[in-house]
Amino acid sequence: MAFKLFKKKDARRACVVGLDGVPCTLLKDMMERGVMPNLKELVGRGTLTDMTVSLPEISSVSWSSFMTGKNPGEHGIYGFTDLKENSYDYRFPQFNDLKTETIWDRMGRQGLRSIVINQPSTYPAREIPGVLISGFVAIDIPRALYPRKYLASLARARYRVDIDTEKSREDADFLFKDLDALLECRKVIMDELWDKEEWNFMQVIVTGTDRLYHFQWDAYEDPSHPNHERFLQYHRNVDDFVGYVYEKFSKEGSPENFFMLSDHGFCGIKNEVYVNSMLQKYGFLAFDDGSDTLSDITSDSTAFALDPARIYIHRKERYPKGCVEDKDVEGIKSELKAMFGSIEHDGPRDEPIIRHIFDGADVYSGGQTPGAPDILLVPHNGYDMKGRVGASTIVGERRLQGMHTWDNAFFLSLRNDLLSSDEELTIFDVPWKVLKSIDVEP
Amino acid sequence: MKGFTLWFTGLSGSGKSTLARNIEETLLERGMNVEVLDGDEIRENLSKGLTFSKEDRDINIRRIGYVAKLLSRNGVAAITAAISPYKAIRDEVRESHDRFVEVYLEAPIDVLTERDTKGLYKKALAGEIKNFTGVSDPYEAPENPEIIVNTATETVEESANKILRTLELMQYVPGEAVGAEYSEEEEEKIKARLKDLGYI
Repeated sequence: MAFKLFKKKDARRACVVGLDGVPCTLLKDMMERGVMPNLKELVGRGTLTDMTVSLPEISSVSWSSFMTGKNPGEHGIYGFTDLKENSYDYRFPQFNDLKTETIWDRMGRQGLRSIVINQPSTYPAREIPGVLISGFVAIDIPRALYPRKYLASLARARYRVDIDTEKSREDADFLFKDLDALLECRKVIMDELWDKEEWNFMQVIVTGTDRLYHFQWDAYEDPSHPNHERFLQYHRNVDDFVGYVYEKFSKEGSPENFFMLSDHGFCGIKNEVYVNSMLQKYGFLAFDDGSDTLSDITSDSTAFALDPARIYIHRKERYPKGCVEDKDVEGIKSELKAMFGSIEHDGPRDEPIIRHIFDGADVYSGGQTPGAPDILLVPHNGYDMKGRVGASTIVGERRLQGMHTWDNAFFLSLRNDLLSSDEELTIFDVPWKVLKSIDVEP
Repeated sequence: MKGFTLWFTGLSGSGKSTLARNIEETLLERGMNVEVLDGDEIRENLSKGLTFSKEDRDINIRRIGYVAKLLSRNGVAAITAAISPYKAIRDEVRESHDRFVEVYLEAPIDVLTERDTKGLYKKALAGEIKNFTGVSDPYEAPENPEIIVNTATETVEESANKILRTLELMQYVPGEAVGAEYSEEEEEKIKARLKDLGYI
């Protein structure tokens, strides 16, 4: 008769709760108002700090930076959209496009298992050491899950990846109901996996916050807004969820290894700003008459933009109709920077629109930089930059209420020893602190 | 995708629940809405209090059949896993459906007695359980089921594949999921979501 060898369970534990798009200043405000008491208690035990995120400041890029600890120049995700090779057709980067190892794989090499719930930019789900439920932009639940043995569990939990964004834009009652339903189904599936799986790292991301801010930011800023109280109530619900997760996690033996973060900040929108219209106005970009598609770009255009404000030099070697030789790239970049720098008071309110102009070469490093944007713009709060083609003006009416910000994201750590007082934190730093908390070395 | 009812019938321990859950998982993977109506669970809920007399068994099966019909006509793949020993009631349920697939789980009683996963055969043979199908109550095997699987000789995977192949041939379930690349339909859905949130 053979003896079974029992491996001693690894007692290391860490937990991350992500709150998509929640600004540090909003959290502080909610704590002061008494809306988020659980969070306030956690902040009292640890450190809440604001941080900047990767560029551009959108979830797919930021979360990819969090899950790898790398900049887009290494992980290769620069946006929700990209262009197909040697083409002007859009493609939608997916999890398989991520070029670097994830923190869950890194933990897995040390025999640690992760449970990852609602992680944006991991669709279609692939094998990780543990369980992965993909978040936005996942479409089909079966392809958003690894391993698939939990499909029936997800079905029983009435699990969904996202709210119905189409209905929610038009119907606030529907939005608030759907937000609560989504929070509940994450909790149900988390509870099941918590008990059924052996794990060392638990991660769950609440994305309803981002959706709420896009559609109802005005309800936050205006106390007389009819949805103001419901806006606060959703934050009470999120706070309950955070308290619930922490309470559960604190029984696992390492309550200090509890972390929270957001992937970008948020603010209200005054106007949309169309970067391609700017490029057209100042002679960098033209389209065949009347066209509103990028594929109709003229062969003498020197630059174009993709969402939200990624500017690409129209290189001869990379694009079918590209005209800019390598030797001329720096010159065009200088002209573009000068042009963007000169647009100081082009808004309807006689106030500056562009806050930062970044050179891609300064922002990104690594093997994936050939696909990187050449220039990135960060607007002043309120000016929501868009890469859409075909707008007749540079500044237009807003279609949503809230927009992302590059700064004012947050990080909360109960491990004060992992933060230094003079540290200017970015989202790239966060995963390394989480890994360090459970002794996983870089 | 239209709904249908997949009706498992067979003796206790023949593997109805196991196969039902296996098929459920695969159909979910293929994007279908699925509900399993498991005999044991139904007796704890919908049919609580019913005995195992022929009359009560018939009531139980009619109830399961009725719920399956409601589900299937609303686009759900309703999978039932109850012994359902009497042919007349099964046929009555079939008549009430537009899309009905009967699966007979064939397994000799001696194999089931040996398998005895729930310890019921031992008790039934000792006279501790009355009205036990196959021991002290009759089981009427289907004459023309759409699918027969022999769970005494086949593995769960073999039986499940046989059922799935048949359902595919009947065009009741779609083929296997596409590969890693986004389909055109998926791309359109992603575009719509990105637009709703102002990302494109």
